[in-house]
Order: sequence, then structure tokens, then C-alpha cells
Amino acid sequence: MIYTGNRKRRAYVNTQYKKGVLELCVLSLLKKRDCYGYEISEYLSDHIDIADGTVYPILRKLKSDGLLTTYLQEESGGPPRKYYSLSDLGKETYEKDKAEYLSFAKTIETLLEDDEHDEN
Amino acid sequence: MTKTEFLTLLENELRKNDITDAKDILSEYEEHFAFKLADGYSEAEIAAKLGKPSELAAQFENEPKQEKNGGRKFTTVIGLIFTDLPASIVFALLWVWEIVMGAAAAAFTGLAGCLILGLNFYSIIPAMPYWCGAIFGLSFIALAFLTVVGCIWFAAYLRQLMRVCSRFNHNAMAAASGKPVLPPLPANPQLALKTRRVLRGFALWSLTAFAVCFVLGMIVSMLSAHALPFWHAWGWFGYTGWN
Repeated sequence: MIYTGNRKRRAYVNTQYKKGVLELCVLSLLKKRDCYGYEISEYLSDHIDIADGTVYPILRKLKSDGLLTTYLQEESGGPPRKYYSLSDLGKETYEKDKAEYLSFAKTIETLLEDDEHDEN
Repeated sequence: MTKTEFLTLLENELRKNDITDAKDILSEYEEHFAFKLADGYSEAEIAAKLGKPSELAAQFENEPKQEKNGGRKFTTVIGLIFTDLPASIVFALLWVWEIVMGAAAAAFTGLAGCLILGLNFYSIIPAMPYWCGAIFGLSFIALAFLTVVGCIWFAAYLRQLMRVCSRFNHNAMAAASGKPVLPPLPANPQLALKTRRVLRGFALWSLTAFAVCFVLGMIVSMLSAHALPFWHAWGWFGYTGWN
């Protein structure tokens, strides 16, 4: 991959603001069911354009914050897989952050639309 | 970049940032490679999609709760010592019972052999006509089989109990040091379906053979002694006052 300087910078900025909402996306996925790391990474890279490796630091941070717990599950024909599960604190945090994010996104949307009207 | 190159670079970067559980993190990326390789991607493609090792390593932060874990680990160890000590005594006693039952099976076999071959060392077996003894001998062979089946099942059960106990130990330690725990094991021995069927068949057949031969032996003995309490008629157990 060859980036010009400008594209590289823009990619970096995009990564930074995506990362903020990635935590929320991970929590929403884990609210539905327990997953192992690779599943989460695949789910995110299916929907959001981000480097595959980014999800693992997020998982570790969420775990050390106490939002996630991990357990091992033995699979037939392979080493046990590490599953991530939402803790009670994680569920609480998810509901709070989700409401916060949605209201924030709504505000931004209104602002951006206002901007369009002004230009016209 | 190959898988090894990627992982080595990442490990060096993590070391540089003083990340404590680099091994844990590396195993996640290794697993990622394994899944992607199974899906048919090349190592270079996977490494490119993962991102730069230096950028990834910079996103990991150290968790500041090392000391708290130390204290919890210590109390867990103390607690485990207090639960494991009585548990290991119970296990030892149960294994002794296994040995006793094994000895019983050997004794039954020996007794059956003597009765069928007509041997009687030091007149240790009470006197009886040969055919009565032979039928009793058959019933003791069946009893020996039954005991052996019981021993096998009991050993499997004990082994499983010990595995459950060690899994509990492992999980308690893992939970105390913040590592992921394994699922608890079921208490019943997980014998293969075929083994279980064979064992059950053996047990049922030997139980039936034992019952049939024992009752038959009693009947034959009563007939040949012309008495219901044939053991008195033959003067067993040192009692000769009968008749």
C-alpha cells in the first residue's frame, strides 16, 4: 500500500475518530452473544474500514476496565478458544454510552444539515 | 511480511513499551493468523490487513493493577491448600478402597479355582461334595467378573473426580490472577459409548450368572445333604450339634 502524505494523514485521522465508536460497536456485538476475538475482528472489519489488528487493543482495554470478562471454551479438534463476555458493568456502560452517542450523533447531523441549508 | 516477522516485530514493540502480558496479546494475533490462513489468505495479506506492528503496539496500555492481584493470589493459594488437603486424604482413602476391591476380585478368582480344581490347601474351604463346590466355584468366577467391572468403573469415576478437582484448582488460580477460566468438568466419568455398553453388558451377565449359580449351588447342596441347612449337616463353622 502506498499512501501520499496527505492520504496517510487523513487515514490516521479517520482511524482516530473511528476508534472512539469502535468500543461501542464491540459492546453492542457482545450484548447479543459471547464471541471470540477473531469473530469480533471479522464483524468489525466487515462493517467498518479499519485495520484488522485494531480490535485486540480495544478488547484488552475493555477487559482491564472491567467491562468484559473472558473464559476459555474447549472446541472439538483444537486448542481452547478465549471467549469475551459482557460483564454487568459492561451492560450498564453500553446502555449509557449508546444513549450518549445517539444524542451526540443527532446533534452533529442537525448541525451538518444546517450547514447545507446555509450554503444553498 | 510473514507471520513470524509480524509476530517478532510486534513482540519487540510490546517489549519496548513495557507491556506486561505480551504473551497473551501475541497469542490473540497468532490465533487471528490461524483463522485467516484457514480461510485461504496468504501470510503477507493477513499481516498487511492487520496493520503496522509498531502502530498496534502503541495502542496497548498497561493495566495498573499488579499489586492487587498479588494479594488475591496469596489468599487463593492459602484457601486451596485448606481445601486440597482434606480432598487428597479422601482421594487416597477411595483409592485404598479400589485396592481392597481388587484384592477381593483376586480372592474370588482363587477360591473359584480351588473349588473347580478340587484343591483345598490347609482345609481352609469347608468340606462339601465336589459338584456342589464346582457350582459355587462358577458363581464365584461370576462374582469376580462383577467386582472387576465395578473396579474399572470406580477407577474411572475417581479419575474424573480428581480431574474435576484439579480443574477447580486451575480455575481458582486463573480467576485470582485475572486469566480466563476453563469451563468446569462434569462429575460423571466420560466413558466412550462403546466402553459403557460393554461394561454394562459384562455387569448384567456376571450378576445373572452369579445369582443363578449361587442359587443352583444351594439347591444342589441341600439335595445332596438331605437338609435345608446343609451347612449344619456338613458340620461347617464348627457346629456339630445339629441332628
